[in-house]
Order: sequence, then C-alpha cells, then structure tokens
Amino acid sequence: MRKGMVIDLKRCIGCFACQIACKAEHGTRPGTLWARVIKREYGAFPNVRRVSLPLLCMHCRKGPCLEVCPTGATRKRPDGIVTIDADKCVGCRYCMMVCPYGSRHYQDDAHTCFPGQGPNPYEAVAYAEHPTGVVEKCDFCVERVDRGLDPACVVNCPTRARTFGDLHDRDSEVSRLIDERGAFRLREELESCPSVFYLPP
Amino acid sequence: MASMSGSEDVWIPSVCGMCPDQCGILVHRVDGVVTKIEGNPQSPLGRGRLCARGLAGIQLLYDPHRLDQPLRRGNPEKGIGVDPRWQPMSWDEALEAVVERLKRVRAEDPRRLLLCGTPVSPGPLAFAQSVFLPAFGSPNAFICDEHMLSRNVYPDPDFCEYVLVFGADCISGAIAERMADARVRGMRVVAVEPFLSPAAEKADEWLPIRPGSEGALACAMLNLLLNEYRLFDAEYIRRHTDGSYLVRPDGAYARDAASGKPLVWDAAAGCARPFDDEGGDVAIEGTYAVEGQECRPVFDLLRETVRTWTPEAAAEATTIPAETIRRIAREFGEAARIGSTVTIDGHELPLRPAAAVGGRDGALPAALAIALLNEVVGAGDVPGGLLGFSPVSFGHPQTGLPRWALGTDGDGLLQADVLPYNESDGPPTGWPIASECRPEVLVDYGSNLLMSVAGPERCLEAFKDCFVISVSLFSDETAEALADIVLPDASYLERLDPLPNLPRQQPAAGLGDWVYQLRQPAVPPLSERRLSSEVLLEIGERLGLADAMNARANDLYGLRPPYALNAEQRYSWEEMADRIYQSWFGPERGLAWFRQSGVLTWPKRLEEAYWRPFGQGRVPLRHERLPRPGEEVQRRPQIGFDLQAVSYQVPWHSASDTCENPWLDEVSQSEPYSYFICLNPRTAAARGIADGDPVWVESTAGRRVQGRARLTEGVHPEAVAIAGSGGHWARGMPVARGQGAFFNALLSFDPGMEPACDARVRVYKE
Amino acid sequence: MPSAYARQQSLTDLNLTYRPQREWVEGRGLLVVVAHFFSGVGAGAWLFSVALGFDAGLVISIAIVAGLAGPAHLAFLGRCQRFWRMALRPQSSWISRGVWGLAIFLVGAIPYALPPVRDSAIGPVVLGVSLAGMAVVLAYQGFVYAVSRAIPFWRLPLLPVLYIAYGLRGGAAVLLVVGAVASDAFDIDLLEAIKLWVVVSSAVLVLLYLALARSAGGSARRSAAELVAGKVSPAFYAGTIFCGLVIPIVLGAIGAATGTSRGLLAIIGLSSLVGDFYIKYCIVKAAVYRPIVEELPAPRRYGTRRAAAGL
Repeated sequence: MRKGMVIDLKRCIGCFACQIACKAEHGTRPGTLWARVIKREYGAFPNVRRVSLPLLCMHCRKGPCLEVCPTGATRKRPDGIVTIDADKCVGCRYCMMVCPYGSRHYQDDAHTCFPGQGPNPYEAVAYAEHPTGVVEKCDFCVERVDRGLDPACVVNCPTRARTFGDLHDRDSEVSRLIDERGAFRLREELESCPSVFYLPP
Repeated sequence: MASMSGSEDVWIPSVCGMCPDQCGILVHRVDGVVTKIEGNPQSPLGRGRLCARGLAGIQLLYDPHRLDQPLRRGNPEKGIGVDPRWQPMSWDEALEAVVERLKRVRAEDPRRLLLCGTPVSPGPLAFAQSVFLPAFGSPNAFICDEHMLSRNVYPDPDFCEYVLVFGADCISGAIAERMADARVRGMRVVAVEPFLSPAAEKADEWLPIRPGSEGALACAMLNLLLNEYRLFDAEYIRRHTDGSYLVRPDGAYARDAASGKPLVWDAAAGCARPFDDEGGDVAIEGTYAVEGQECRPVFDLLRETVRTWTPEAAAEATTIPAETIRRIAREFGEAARIGSTVTIDGHELPLRPAAAVGGRDGALPAALAIALLNEVVGAGDVPGGLLGFSPVSFGHPQTGLPRWALGTDGDGLLQADVLPYNESDGPPTGWPIASECRPEVLVDYGSNLLMSVAGPERCLEAFKDCFVISVSLFSDETAEALADIVLPDASYLERLDPLPNLPRQQPAAGLGDWVYQLRQPAVPPLSERRLSSEVLLEIGERLGLADAMNARANDLYGLRPPYALNAEQRYSWEEMADRIYQSWFGPERGLAWFRQSGVLTWPKRLEEAYWRPFGQGRVPLRHERLPRPGEEVQRRPQIGFDLQAVSYQVPWHSASDTCENPWLDEVSQSEPYSYFICLNPRTAAARGIADGDPVWVESTAGRRVQGRARLTEGVHPEAVAIAGSGGHWARGMPVARGQGAFFNALLSFDPGMEPACDARVRVYKE
Repeated sequence: MPSAYARQQSLTDLNLTYRPQREWVEGRGLLVVVAHFFSGVGAGAWLFSVALGFDAGLVISIAIVAGLAGPAHLAFLGRCQRFWRMALRPQSSWISRGVWGLAIFLVGAIPYALPPVRDSAIGPVVLGVSLAGMAVVLAYQGFVYAVSRAIPFWRLPLLPVLYIAYGLRGGAAVLLVVGAVASDAFDIDLLEAIKLWVVVSSAVLVLLYLALARSAGGSARRSAAELVAGKVSPAFYAGTIFCGLVIPIVLGAIGAATGTSRGLLAIIGLSSLVGDFYIKYCIVKAAVYRPIVEELPAPRRYGTRRAAAGL
C-alpha cells in the first residue's frame, strides 16, 4: 500500500479551489498554504504558454525531511504518508532547508485573517489545531484517509483533475492514469521519490 | 477538521451566493459554528465540487467588518474618500426614516425611486425589482451586469469539437468539470484575446489580438465563410433566421399586402410569398423584383456587408496575420460539419460541433458578429454548437411547472419571454437617467454601483443629491460616498431565498438535468442583520403596498390558486417560499421538503436541451449593426494614448467584494498577475518600466489608476491588462483596501455611444 | 516569520523562479547564524587555548559555547522547552550530531577547565573528550547546510571546509582580542602567525567557494551573484571582505613591518570576528532554493502496472 496522487494538468484550470479547499478543511493560518498553485510561463510573444501547477507535500518515499529531522517528529507511515508530530517538533526548521518543493510551513506568531480583530468564530475553532512554533504541512488529509475518504483537495477539484489512491495497486485509478497517459514527477533527479504524479497539460 | 465532541454536527443543503452560478452546497455546522462548506453532490450545479469562492464563504460570514446594524450618515458631505461618520441606529429608526422618505416620493411621483441591483443574487434581486418596485409604482431599475450577448453561453460540452473563444470564461464555474471532460476528449480551444487570461491558458492556441478589434476578426471570418469558402448552413439560415426575408431598398422587410407578413422568394414558383408558407425553394441569395422594387434576402445583404472585411483589412485592424485568419475561418467552417447529424434518444438532430463564444469585453457590434458566426454555420442551440439558457421548459413531470415556451412575434422572430424581470432592451440611453423625472431616492441593492459602473465620478455627480439607501454587506465605496442610510443585509449563509437560481441559472448547456434549489440559512442572521427581502416586505407593509406586492409576487412566481397570495392577507417570507415551491412542484414538495433535500432535479427533454431544431422562431441577422472597416478607427489608439486597457476574469473572484475575503485576497497575493498591471516587456522597456515598478494608467477620460507593473509575454504589446476586481478604497473593507487596481475608473460612458469595455490609455512610471 | 509584510513576502515568493531562503536568516532566524557563529568561534578558541596553554581561554571558550551559542540556539527554536529531543536522531541528522558534539564538548571541557582536574590523571581523558566534541562542533555546521539538495549554493563539498576554517579563524581571533588584556598569558606571536595563515587561506577558500558556486550553474550561480553584485553584496563586501580579510591582512602587514602592539592585534581580532559572522550570514542570506520546476519534465510510464514496487 502506498498512497499517492495524480494531478492532471490538462484538466487543471488554475482556479485555486484546491488551495482554499485545503485551507477550509484544515483552517491553516494566513500565509500558510499547504496546497498552493504556481504559474509558469513559457515562450515569447506571441507563442506563449502558461501552465498552472498545483503543489502540495510530495510525501516522498526517501524524503530528505525524514533524514534531517533531529527529533523524529517527521515520520512516514506504513502507507507512505509523511506526517509531523506537533508534540515532538521543536521548530528548528531544518526540514524546511532541505525540502525541494517548499512544502513545509512555519509561523512564530498567532496571526488571524483580519488584522487587529482577533480570531473570528471559525478561526477560534480552527487554529486550535495549528500551534505556532512548530513546522506543519500537507498530510494527505490523514484524518479523512483513515475514515476511508479522499483528501479534501481531491474531492473538491472542480474539474476532477486530482485522483488519489494506492500506487501499489495495479488496478487503481492512479496506476491506470500514470500508465495510460504517462506522467512526470517534479525534481525527479533529486531521487526523493515523490508520491505525487503529474499528467502532462 | 474533526468535529468537536459537542451537541451538534450537521450538514445543511443550501445554495452558494458568491457568484451568479448558484451551485448547490452543503454547509457543515458544528456547535453553532460554520466550519466547512462543500459542494452538494446532489446538485447538477457544481456536482459536489466548489470553486475557490464558494469554499471561502465562511470568511464572508464571519468577517468582523460586516455591517451589523443600520447606520445613519453623520457627515452631510458626500464624495469619494469622505468619511461618512456613521451613527448607529436601531431598525425602528432606520425603517421610520426610509418609510417617511418613500412616502413623500410616492405621493409626489413614485417614478423617482431608482433601484440599482446586482445579478450576483438573481433571486433576491427579482423580488426587489419585480415585486417591490412595481408595487411602489416605479419602472426604474438598473442592473450592474456584465456585457450583453456573452452571459451564460457555452460550447456544447458533450459534442463540441472546436470552440473559438473571444475573452469569455467558459472553463470555470458550474460547468468546469464538463468542460474539462470536453478538452480531454479532444475539443480544440482557440482563444482570441489581448491577454493570456486564466481561460486562455487552457486553449490549444492563443491568438493575441489588438484590444477592441474582435469584431474585425469575426467579420473577416464571416466574409471568408460566406463569400470565399461558401461554408454556411443554407437550410438553417432558411429555417431559423430571417436570412431569407426580402429587404427593400429602404431597408425594411418586403411585406405581403394581404397579411403584412415578411416575404421570401420562392425560386421554384418564381415569385415572392409569405415566409411561413410551406414548400418551394426559398432563396437566400440574389436580387428579386417585388412590386417594382429590387429586393434582396437579408442573408445576401449580410454577405455584402462583410465583403469589405478582407483578411488583409482584418489583419491590419487586429494584428493577427491574414494567413492565420484564413486558417481559423476554414478550421471553424470545416469543424462545423455542415449537413451532418447525430442520433440522440432515437432523434436525428443536426450536429454542428463548432462554436464561437462571445467576448465579454466586446462592444455590441463585435458581439453580434461573433454570435453570427454560430448562426451562419447552423450551430445555434443544436448538438455540438453554441448553447445558452434554454427558453423551453415543460416543467416538472408531475406538475408541468414552471413552463415556458418560445414566443414569436408577427414576423416569426424569436421572443424570449422567460426572464422574470426585465433587462434593458438596448444600451442604456444615458447617465443619469434621461427621462422626464430625475431620481430622488436611490436604493443601492447590494450593487456597490460606484465600483460597478464606468466612471465613478460621474456616477457620484448623478446621485449625490439623492437620498441614498444602501442595502449592503459592507460599508463599501458606494455607502461611504453616497449613502444616507445603510441597512445591514444578511449574507447568503444567513438567509432563506426560494428559487435562488431563477431560470437563468441552470446548467445552461445541453443535456443534463433541470435543477431547482433552496437557499436556507446555515446560521440565523448574526448580530442585527436582516434579510433584505423581509425588510422590503416590512417597508411595503408600512407604505400600504402589501396588497400590491402580493399581486406582483403572484405574477413573478406564477402562483395560482390554491397557492396564490390573497391580496389582503399577510404572509411571512417562509410562507411565501412554501407556496412558491408547492405551486411549482406539488404539495409534497414545499419548503419542508426543500429544507430537507435542498435540490430537486429531473432530466431535461431533448427539446429542452436542443430546442432549436424542434421549435419555430427565427433570429434576426441584423447585418446593419456590424462593425465597418472605417468605423473602428475611432476606437484605435489615439495620439499620446497609445495603449488599450482591458480587464479579464479570474475564477477566484466575482464582482468586487471577494477582495475583502482574506482567503481569496491571499490567492491573489500568491498569484503573479491579478493584483498587477500587466504589460508586454517590450512595451514596458520602451517606457523605462521594470517588473514591480509603481505605475499610473491614465485614460482619455481623464482618470488614472495606480498599480504595480507585471511584465509578461502573455499580453499584446498594445494592451494593458488589469484583472477586473481590485482597487477598493473603502475604509469599511480593510482587507480589500488598496489591493489590485480599479479598472472601471478608466472607462468612460458617453451617452449615445456603444458602451465600451476597454479604454484608451497611456502608462508611465510613478 | 513575524510580520504581515513577511507573510505577504512568502506568498509572492511562491512564483519566483529562485525563492530566497528566509527561515534561517530573517527575523528570529538570524539567531541560527548567531548561534553557529558563536559555537564555531568557541570551538576554535578552545583548540587554540589548549594548544597554547592559555587557561583563561579555556574558560572563555566554554563561556562562548555554553553562554552564547547555546542560548542563541535555544532562542531560535519554536519550542525551546523540547530542545532535548534534538539529540534523538544522530543516525541521520546533522543537527542531532551537533547537539551531541556540543554536549560531549562541554562534558569534557568543563572538568578540564578546572585546574585540579586538568592536572589529575583523568585530565587527558577529559581533554580527549573535549577535543572530540570540539571537532564535531567545528565540522557539523557545514554539513548541516551541505546536506541540502534543495539549496545548491550550500551543496558544495567545500562548505564544511569553509566552516571549519572560519571556526579556526574565529578561535584565533578571540584569543587575539583577549590577548590585548591578558598580555603574557600565551605565545601571541605564534598565534599571530597562525592567524595570518588562516586569514589568507580563508580568503582563498571564499574565492574558491564563489567560483565553484558560479560554475555549478542555476541557483548556486544566482546566489553567488547575489553575494557579489546583488542585495547581499553590501554585507559581503563590508563585513566579510573588508572587516574579515582586508583589515586583518593590511594591519597584519603593517604590524609585521612596524612591530605589532597588543592593541593592534585586538583590532585585527575584532575585525576578523566581524568578518567571521558575516561570511556565515552571507552564505545563509544569499541562499536560494533550486526551482521547483523549470521546463516541464517529459512524461514516463513508470511501469506501474507491471512493477508496482520500486517506485
């Protein structure tokens, strides 16, 4: 069993719904984006292409974060999902120095969405699960996965660009998509072995 | 987020109100707090998925800057940037003040009440415009909406194979998933616009075009299709347009002396006959003598009109090479597969898998030319072609309601009689309203009109002497500059709206299900906010309009006995909603049923999805309104103002108040273009502008906006691209304040001219 | 990141090709540089104090490591009360190894600094322990950075060498400063000679490092450019080059010609220490991440359906 995700860049329209779905599901603080979308422009006028590239934690099989964490707060579950134990993290941010994908986030101060106003009712509930002073990141929605659901970004994507499943299962949708369409991973040469695959635009 | 171990954990079906698409949602409420909004899988609008806006609704609900109580203007001075010095008032005081004023106006001349609304929430607007306003006695309403001829039209997601898009966004919203399916199955998208917008990103080919010249390209394509390639659907033109109607030299239809009906030429019989007689061989080209006058079919005149648009003339106007124009025209014409058919449910229907989707920035003539591209190849409302909101409904299988059908006038031309409120028949005639009375009271019904129309200073001038009532969610620009009284409205998560997606908001395109939904509150209105529709009921009661409003409501919602509202009786908003649903869908599907289920769907019939092949009703080709090669020169860049500013949609913003939403504001901050003023690098270099530099954009209208430059190859060298939703300055919207640039300030609105949605500008470093 | 501006900055960074590294240099992150500076300098000071037989220097080194470097490290952490957890992964983490090194150093150094223990039978033992810890402290920092494949500017084998050299430099500089006060405590001329040698060789190392970074291409090249001509260049030229290299070399040459006073040596030492701080600051400040994506990679099939393992 190895959990993985496939993101179809042909279907993706760069609408940022995944960024907000994750934000709303987990209630991350302002400035912290576990799921985010970057835009890359190629070519020169008039032959220009732009690609929207959704990013999240790649849940690498051989992630450098797993090596460098001095406390063991960052660990990998048997199903491949990489998690951070907020009770063990000391906030040294070494993992943030070695992650090639910028997937890790840290905040010192307890910011709220509306400066000077304190947390609103949603934030009062949400931020209880986001202590400051520790590193946090996308966790493939482990709480949903453990209940048999797919991650929030996957379930919500308006164009059904995201698929989640077992990479080791040859009949799973993720395996089928990778095999039929051909896929790529980011920074493959760094050999961290990400679990997130992209289908070409 | 895991629910707390508390007493409550519920999911409430409702309808999103962040944009006009009105997708079905499920709102998660835990111990009285809304903690998540997700799409409702039962609803064909969204299919269980939501865009960034819909998900971010929580922050609209709990924004501490929301209006919580009625306010009175303490500062007698009105103006942009003026501090209104709001004084809180009770609802009683506020309603007193409003009613007292309206009583006076009604006694003198009720037409002096002007309502300005927003289409973001069509249901509530319909109640204000078609129930309250007529009961009051005023016909004066203005809707701040996007440009005509490009709303709610899509290429057929099931069958289209080639779509030419002129700056419209038909890839996001309620139809996003189906459009993605279409792209994956091979639908080719060609995007024609000055900026590589989020919609154009997904195109197979981006054709950068000089801003404002879309009509030239469309006309050149018409010329090539009709005159050179001879790729047009003659049968469709005969049956579904006025292309065969004979036109006299004076421009009017040639008419039958006896019946007055427009005449067509029957080549088999060798004479003219009324258009609706059957049989014969109806001509669409040629010159024919009718009663001694040389008459030509409308289609023939169209061919001649567009003949002046050679590919070379269009290349000069658009900066798109003539060979490309020829290629695109041929691709489009051939993709339409004129003459082919498809069998659906045992019916053989025309198949025209090509569509041209109108530009939201185009002036009327350009929009017309683009619309005609569909008509001439026979792709209007048939499988594969351009689909819009369906004007045919046979209603729910059990009740047969709501029912509407195509209407035609005496000339056989289509009449769309389905919109429950009137949209303007043509371009607005002037600003302020050029009627014999001047408005005395303006109700800004959630429109924030100072930011929603062209030329905010003119708008301010027009209304600063009025008594202005703002019904709003925030102390926005219009409230701060103009309002005497502000009434705090309930957001979509705090309100009950029956039929929030009025007939316009259906999954417009083709096959699928009809959908009717209920918007119900996830939480009761917080603080002292009140649902605007209920406030109107209260005001109506105090003004003695309740009887008339009941009658109007019966009209608007088609309420028949036993559900019709009795004139003298008084009904709560819930009671009205219950009657509306029961009247349309049967006694067992009243408000209670909708509270529980949220969504009612039933499959569309083929004649509803693709109504054109089944129905009568012709579209006028209106060739006389097309752009001409000489005309568009006056829309070209002028001396000193050598660039053209254009705006574009981004799928995470809608209207303007989404910039106040911190999650959506964060998206714009994390994205390279939408809060910036986008320039081509060569254009910028010529002006000494580097990426990130603060710049001014100044228009010929004498206004200028500030912003920071973003250099990108994805913009035409003559264009300045500004995402159309930024530049707030209201103190009551501090998250939005100062973010992005205010595009509408650049536009000018000259009475008598076609409204233009781009502006001649120059750009320079600050 | 403490401020609203910083949060907005992190959002804008997302779309930059070369995202700057900020966590270990901006705001509270500066404490990492401070901590690394003090621990390197303290370890180097220990080495020279032991070698030159400078007893006061032993105490000073311990004070620097335990009293300055330690607290700076702790103050940097988000949850400093859990600091002991950082020792739990020496098998894979260089920070864990550094924590052990620091601990071992203090375990050996503190007893050794006490004259009774130093002169006793276990003196050499604790000395050995302290030297082992010191070696780890000197070396580990460079490896902490060099491990990162996400920041190519750090991933040069020369980086640990550079850090060791600067640790030694710093240690010698501390003694030069102290030597102005405690005049005959040790052979300062020897130290001066060592210092000059270390200064010159560190200059060579810096230049060599920059050259390697530039030839590594991409983000490493970009970082080198930031150092030499970009936003980090003021700190680089003023701190690392001028204070850290030019002044010591020039004053050292003057001193060699005209005779060196203690005061001059102290100035050389102080200036050198400023340079030692700034090289570490510059290396961390100029760092940019390797772009997450440049051209889109070509798709492959991965043979998922045939060989599920080994992905």
